[in-house]
Amino acid sequence: MIIVNYCVSIILICLGLYAVTMKKDLIKVVIGLGIIDYGVNLFIVSVGFNDGGTAPIFTISELLNGAASSYFVDPVPQALTLTSIVIGACVDAMALSLVVMINRKYHSINADDVRRIRG
Amino acid sequence: MFDYHHFPVIAVMILFLGAFLVEIFGSKNKTVRNTIALVIAAVSAACIYALIKPVFFDGEVISYWMGNWEPVSGYAIGIGYEVDALNLFFALLTVTTFLLSGIYSVRYMEKDEHLGHYYTLYLMLSGGVLGLVLTGDIFNMFVMIEIMTFAAVALTAFRNRSFGALEGAFKYLVLGSVGSSMTLAGVALLYMSCHTLNMAQLSSILGSQPLNPTTVFAFALMFAGLAVKAFIVPFHTPAADAYMVAPTSVSMMFSGMVNKAGVYGMIRLCFTIFHAMDQSSLQILLAAFGCVTMFVGVTMALAQHDFKRLLAFHSISQIGYVITAVALGTAVGLSGGLFHAMNHTLFKGLLFLTAGAVLKATGTTNLDKLGGLSKKMPKTTICFLIGAFSISGLPPFNGFASKWMVYQAVYAKAVTTGNFFYAVVTIVAVVVSVMTLASFIKVTQACFFGQCPENLKDTKEVPLSMRIPMWILSVLCLVTGIFYNFVYEKLLYPAMVAALNTVKYIDSMMGAGYAGAAGVANHLVDAPRFSVWDPISWLLLFVICLVAVCLVIVLGDRERGKVSDPETKPADGKYATFFSGEHELHSHVAGSDLFWGFKKDFKGYFNVVQGAHDGNVNTYASWVVIATAVIAIFMVIFVK
Repeated sequence: MIIVNYCVSIILICLGLYAVTMKKDLIKVVIGLGIIDYGVNLFIVSVGFNDGGTAPIFTISELLNGAASSYFVDPVPQALTLTSIVIGACVDAMALSLVVMINRKYHSINADDVRRIRG
Repeated sequence: MFDYHHFPVIAVMILFLGAFLVEIFGSKNKTVRNTIALVIAAVSAACIYALIKPVFFDGEVISYWMGNWEPVSGYAIGIGYEVDALNLFFALLTVTTFLLSGIYSVRYMEKDEHLGHYYTLYLMLSGGVLGLVLTGDIFNMFVMIEIMTFAAVALTAFRNRSFGALEGAFKYLVLGSVGSSMTLAGVALLYMSCHTLNMAQLSSILGSQPLNPTTVFAFALMFAGLAVKAFIVPFHTPAADAYMVAPTSVSMMFSGMVNKAGVYGMIRLCFTIFHAMDQSSLQILLAAFGCVTMFVGVTMALAQHDFKRLLAFHSISQIGYVITAVALGTAVGLSGGLFHAMNHTLFKGLLFLTAGAVLKATGTTNLDKLGGLSKKMPKTTICFLIGAFSISGLPPFNGFASKWMVYQAVYAKAVTTGNFFYAVVTIVAVVVSVMTLASFIKVTQACFFGQCPENLKDTKEVPLSMRIPMWILSVLCLVTGIFYNFVYEKLLYPAMVAALNTVKYIDSMMGAGYAGAAGVANHLVDAPRFSVWDPISWLLLFVICLVAVCLVIVLGDRERGKVSDPETKPADGKYATFFSGEHELHSHVAGSDLFWGFKKDFKGYFNVVQGAHDGNVNTYASWVVIATAVIAIFMVIFVK
């Protein structure tokens, strides 16, 4: 099961890299950045997943009864993913706002036009 | 009175706290805003300076667990901060840079709008870099990288009405984000195979067994992600754009601490976490990247016509020296690399500040429009000359001492391994230094000497609060160049030993004997202290050569002095390299094109390199992807 997750995350990352390197439209470049991020997030969540595991939340009585040693999913990657999602959303917002301002100034969002600094 | 074990965390936290305070209280009143920002920066810097004694002089390693979540049965469960001499070395560079940049910003930025946001971002950038340098947890490191990158992007776009600011920021954002994603993927892969995020514990797990393909791939991804932050060729393109368009106080922070943070990350990764610097394959990979970085950086700098973009390419080139020296994996190389990193912070900070002074006084950094400023701005000119001498490696300034160490280390490596590759690296390092000097002669001539254009006749010197940081950096450039032995004994030697002594790093974080129990040993033995380089005798040699040349000129043909007067006499073929064979009326030695002849001879190379920097974000991103793929393939095959 989990193999599918890994394959999809690799496909997502490759698609994102394709968009960033090949697409001339700056909005599509930003979308590519987002897709890379989603691929990485899916990968991290999959790392911590155990098939058939429970949530890693226990009450005191469960701990005393020894239920804490039961089979549960790793909570750390989920915390990492949450952080990463928040950061990714901020990146997209900032990148899009830059694209809006570039459009105002250059009257174009084509990567071939937005290259006044070169050489 | 205070327990200094809390200082690393306070130093980072107070910067983030200050970012919010500036936004809440400082948006209206500029005195309140400047005071809050500078006091917060000074307190943070004081916390770091207070650690010099325990860490450098007493050899202590400070470990700090957030919320006192200490390891449970040998497993790190909390976020830890760990400060050894290597961290603290880079933290010192960081705090010095942002403190001086803050003082400089007060007058430099006074004409800009929305300065509340500027100081918020300034404190966020400082906090991000400081956190990255001090943390002992790789996921925390990733978060700090992100804070650093996005504060840096926002600051790049701060003067968004000026030329290219938005464009530079967007390219920086795209490449920085791709780099961060690669770092995160590497962190996830490492967590997958080691089930921990703590650097000390990772180091102990990875050091006790040979690396497997998964961990090597994680290594490659994190390596490439940090290379984007350190701006190594071919990941360097956002640096050249961002340094050029950002406000100069921010450019100084970029070259003084942001790329140093990337270098620190690479050193920590290669030496401490993966124990891989004793492998010749990784040494060759890093040295090759360093070598290409210095060469491409300096040749691109020769072709520039903008003061700040030229400095940006020099910044990239000097990072190449640091990487090359660190790549050798020897004690001499590592100390030389650290020394050059420190000197680069000092002299490149100084040069950026003088560029900012020129921009503030004249309103432009285009070398073709500047000239003759030495009479208008004598103090800035002196500071610039000190910086230029330092970066070109003239004794007795600090650039000479560190470059000499780098040459010596690379040469020693070539001799001990008998590898032809390192002989080539030695030659490239020396040639690059010559070209650095050449391009700074160009800047000096085009900006500070020669004819002063009509519209710059009433240029004035910059205010005192902008000159104070420049003087501090100038004095530091000279002092570290003359008392290099003291710097080596007190700063470089402890930092170098800390980078090599992985066992101590693990033990102070995870408890004594932890590394020994896991079977980790120091692969690289620390070398004895050495002292074989002496800038003073080289200074004497240069003085003797200079006197000899002057004597020949004075005693020789008197016609020599008159050639540079094109109005009375057309330039003959002998001097065509400087005058491009033309009769130029307004040329103060062809402005920023002093090395026209040199560029013409290597036209093929320059056309290719300049054409490759075509400004298209897709091209730059594909360089990053291709280089990452190459690094990953190389490492998976050759790094064991």
